[in-house]
Amino acid sequence: MIWKLLRQHISPLQLLGFFLANLLGVFVVLLAMQFYNDVRPIFSQNDGFISNDYIILSKRISTTGLTASTFSDKEIEELASQPFARNVGAFTASQYQVSCSMGIQGMATFGTQMYFESVPDQFVDTHSQEWHYEPGNQFVPIILPRNYLAIYNFGFAQSRSLPRLSEGLVSTLELMLVLRGQGKEQRMKGRVVGFTTRLNTILAPQSFIDWSNAEFAPQADTSPTRLILEVGNTADERIVKFAQSHGYDVDDDRLQAGKATYVLKIVSGIVMAVGLLITLLSFFILMLSIYLLVQKNTRKLQTLLLLGYSPARVSLPYQLLTVGINVLVLLLALALLWWLRGHYMKMLWSMFPTMPSGSYLPTIILGVALCLLVSVLNIIALRRKILGIWKG
Amino acid sequence: MNTIKLQKTLPQVFAQQPDIQSDIWLQELAFEKGRLYLVEASSGTGKSSLCSYLYGHRSDYLGTIMFDDRDIRTFSISEWTRLRQQNLSLLWQELRLFPELTAWENVEIKNRLTKYKKKKEIASWFEELGIADKLHTKVGLMSFGQQQRVALMRALCQPFDLLMADEPISHLDDNNAQQMSDLMLQEVQRQGAALIVTSIGKHISIHYDQILHL
Repeated sequence: MIWKLLRQHISPLQLLGFFLANLLGVFVVLLAMQFYNDVRPIFSQNDGFISNDYIILSKRISTTGLTASTFSDKEIEELASQPFARNVGAFTASQYQVSCSMGIQGMATFGTQMYFESVPDQFVDTHSQEWHYEPGNQFVPIILPRNYLAIYNFGFAQSRSLPRLSEGLVSTLELMLVLRGQGKEQRMKGRVVGFTTRLNTILAPQSFIDWSNAEFAPQADTSPTRLILEVGNTADERIVKFAQSHGYDVDDDRLQAGKATYVLKIVSGIVMAVGLLITLLSFFILMLSIYLLVQKNTRKLQTLLLLGYSPARVSLPYQLLTVGINVLVLLLALALLWWLRGHYMKMLWSMFPTMPSGSYLPTIILGVALCLLVSVLNIIALRRKILGIWKG
Repeated sequence: MNTIKLQKTLPQVFAQQPDIQSDIWLQELAFEKGRLYLVEASSGTGKSSLCSYLYGHRSDYLGTIMFDDRDIRTFSISEWTRLRQQNLSLLWQELRLFPELTAWENVEIKNRLTKYKKKKEIASWFEELGIADKLHTKVGLMSFGQQQRVALMRALCQPFDLLMADEPISHLDDNNAQQMSDLMLQEVQRQGAALIVTSIGKHISIHYDQILHL
């Protein structure tokens, strides 16, 4: 009966206006959220795995070649303190001459000038038991990039009719190393103990490089020119932003995903902001409409209060009306979203058949949160309005 | 609630007037449960204001009004709501009916809140007051005299310690006025409540315990 009394002066047109505007707003917000969740896995397929990724950073080489190409301690510290960085290691290069000849059973067959680099052991992805060096040892373990072997096998050996080498065979080759510097010369033995895909250089243990640099080139500047960075997710767009703002080069095109994620995030953010704006405006339409309604029914509301109806009881019909509309909007928006998502997921799956399906859950949580927020604001506003009538 | 005390009460608008001659304003006065009061006044002396103050609708007065031993200015919204459901009933001069509801619905809207009267009883009141045929007529279409009777029935659909009737029979003939006052008195006595009737001349002829001039 109260409802019969209070529904007078309800303008269906205003409510419809609010309903549609709010529906559009909520729908756009939820769509942006869902689309972001659905598309993101395409760019960051490693996301789900616990394995970490490594990125190698160097300074961009300018055309004049005059800017410092080494990283200072401060720059390394800054990089290590970034939220995306789990660990930073520096490449240390050998600062003296190294020549290497190789042979089978002591017979030298091939010689070359070469160099070594090292990174801290925890960045080395080959777990060989021989991977250690103590000063005084005559044997140096070496790790080669897998693609060096590929270059030899498929480029060089093929064209020169030389035998191809397997990883196992290369591991049996004995390398004779000669280190020269500071007027000293030392012969050592070396052998390839493993292959890496992560590090694109000829690796020796850190302890060997530290010892040999001190021995053969004590005055040389050993500031690193390259850094290895351990990150949780290479698609993290903050890496790209950081590298760009500091003029660093990143050797890995995996970071393209980071850029794409970044753009996706910006676009989704803009769309979501527009949706929120529409929702906000529609919220004001509803409040204006309800205020107008309360205004027109002021006398009736006042009489009800005077008859002994509590403000809560009198506000209830309007609160239920607004909450009902809000819930209806949410349900309809989710239904629309479900329908539209079906269409775009079909398209995405045809392009990326292995793409994992994103979850509805964050979107539903967002929708419910939005609905709750708007409803609570409605309820509070109505209650205040009715209390205003009580006070006259 | 047994006693309503007025201590030096005066509507704020009268504060500037020098000599106020009144049995109520600026007096120490008590309304007791079980007694019948007539407040006689000419227009503009604050009779409706008195009803509004006692009903918690307005508080633009000086002095103090006490229900038993509590200053009514200290009552919260929920206390006033409860008082209006269980202790205080007011028959407004301007009735405050809902014109878009039927006579029956206007009574029922109060009874639904208090669940005090049976439908049968309310229906018999309509008979008694001679408007049984208007049961389902919208109040907006009824005469003021008929509306006064509807408003009375609504005022009786609750327990009360005090019933205030602000010029209840201004638009009724003697016969109808008599029926209405019979019903009112019957309910007041049954509940052992106090009754305050205000009047600017025409008033229900019952035996009042006290007649006060505003």
